[in-house]
Amino acid sequence: MELFVQLLANTLQIGAVYVLFALGLTLIFGVMKIVNFAHGAFFTAAALIVTSMVPFATVELGVPLWAGYLLAAFAAIAVVLSIGALVYSIGFQHVLKDLNGSFILSIGLLLILNGAYLAIYGGAPRSVPQVLPGTVNVFGATLTAQRLALVIVAAVVTGGLYLLIERTRLGLALRAVAMDQEAAMLQGIPYRRVALYGFLIGAALAACAGVLMAPINAVTPVSGDEFLIKAFIIIIIGGLGSVTGAIIGGLFIAMVESVGGYFFDPSTATLAMFILVIGFLLVRPQGILGNVE
Amino acid sequence: MWNKSFGVWVCVALAISSVLFALLATNGYYASLLVWILTNAVLASALRFVLQIGELNIATAAFFGIGAYTTATTAVLLGWPFWLTLLLAPLMAAVLSALFGWVTLRTKGPYFLLVSFAVTEVIRLIYTQTNVIGGNSGLVGMFPPMAIDAYYPALAIALLAATLFALYGFERSDLGRLFKAIENNDAIPRSVGLNVVFLKVLCVVIASAAVGLAGGIHAYANTVIAPSDFAYFVAVLALAYVKIGGEGHPFGPILGAAVLTLVGQWVAGISAWENIFYGAVIVMTLRVFPGGLVGLAERARGLVTRSAR
Repeated sequence: MELFVQLLANTLQIGAVYVLFALGLTLIFGVMKIVNFAHGAFFTAAALIVTSMVPFATVELGVPLWAGYLLAAFAAIAVVLSIGALVYSIGFQHVLKDLNGSFILSIGLLLILNGAYLAIYGGAPRSVPQVLPGTVNVFGATLTAQRLALVIVAAVVTGGLYLLIERTRLGLALRAVAMDQEAAMLQGIPYRRVALYGFLIGAALAACAGVLMAPINAVTPVSGDEFLIKAFIIIIIGGLGSVTGAIIGGLFIAMVESVGGYFFDPSTATLAMFILVIGFLLVRPQGILGNVE
Repeated sequence: MWNKSFGVWVCVALAISSVLFALLATNGYYASLLVWILTNAVLASALRFVLQIGELNIATAAFFGIGAYTTATTAVLLGWPFWLTLLLAPLMAAVLSALFGWVTLRTKGPYFLLVSFAVTEVIRLIYTQTNVIGGNSGLVGMFPPMAIDAYYPALAIALLAATLFALYGFERSDLGRLFKAIENNDAIPRSVGLNVVFLKVLCVVIASAAVGLAGGIHAYANTVIAPSDFAYFVAVLALAYVKIGGEGHPFGPILGAAVLTLVGQWVAGISAWENIFYGAVIVMTLRVFPGGLVGLAERARGLVTRSAR
């Protein structure tokens, strides 16, 4: 029982970040029909900004650590939104619905951004002091307070996104565009503006993941790229463009990773994940919740 | 005078002079640079070959690696003869790509793109986790036999150029037309009784055999291979060559590979800026001249002929 709870807790910890990351990717795909390989760069930017803002706020401004972290979080999300708006206007708005064009464009942007991070921050891993020290005991499983907070915040953000998509006018527009862009435009939905909002929401989700991960893992200029391949597997399993699919897929992959990592070793878990994906493709090429065109 | 066969003869002349150059060059650096350019040209042309059926195959990088690892493993660990190790590279790539294609080509578009990406990264992970083939540090010491060593760059160039001509030949053949028909609308070839999945797999197998051979040649040319040489990024660069050279013409990827490899030699070593440079080149090309260098040349020729009239 205790082992079960511990593995469940691990799954939720890992899964929380995967879900946020994959949600952004799948949302951008749904609205723009492109695969954003530069998505990891949003994650990395946010995490790097947190690592430099927290020391600045606590030392230079003299605020307590938690306030410094919150300040850094807002700054990071704001900066990522500006980067997102910039790359959208330079590039992505010209390659809407062009899979190959957007792939190479996002790779080009990824190179520029990663190069810029490397030039600004250097390649050494950077870290943030523990924001919430101590551990919490939940049903016999031990969790660091920080990771528990991560799971809670990620759940709240995911819930917020779900409400946004299901309950608001913008959400309705996003869903309409994802379903059929031309029909949506005929109903008077401004496609380009909705695509921009979808892109920015996706970027903000990656930034949230980056902000949450910064105090837990050391950050390097390529941190975000490590999540990218996992996120791809997640959205293949969940179905490209499906929000629920990304949540299910994220938790599923996190479960494979934590259970496989416990009983075997991490690399076996990664291979198992891959074999599952191949098996999946044979049975259901469009993912759990994907639609066939 | 400027017709299709004239262009082919120019390419034959280029290939022969490259081989002669490698035979006569006193400075080994330029010969090996030429080998590297042609290796990249094969990668880019193979990527474009699969683009004919409308799919972006990131696993081009993986099959390049499989070719290199096949040659390196059989040469270094098993000590098999040179020609056999070189022959096994395209064979192994072809067999594994048939398996890969059979499973993954049921999907298309974004799904195929993502799956081929995942396959590439996972195969790289397998290399790093397998201690027999050197784990993270890879394999060292693939040397051509003494008798061939001095001529190896010339041999490599000849084989790579022949591979490029073979890909061109396939593209111009009836099979190539079928591939294009699949890209346009795969329901139509299916409606006349063609096995579309089989044809798609065949297309991937041909391209993978080409990069597999390039991988084997690369193993001997470089004498050192490591898992990081075969990350998805290899395919990204190949796509950059295709896009910058021009997707619409078989010579585009070759031109793109030549230009970017040469420029890459110049920016290499300034790591952060190397990334920024490649990124900026890719973004600029897409935004400013989407037809690539060949597209630019064709537009310029159009202007000249129009003003001549």
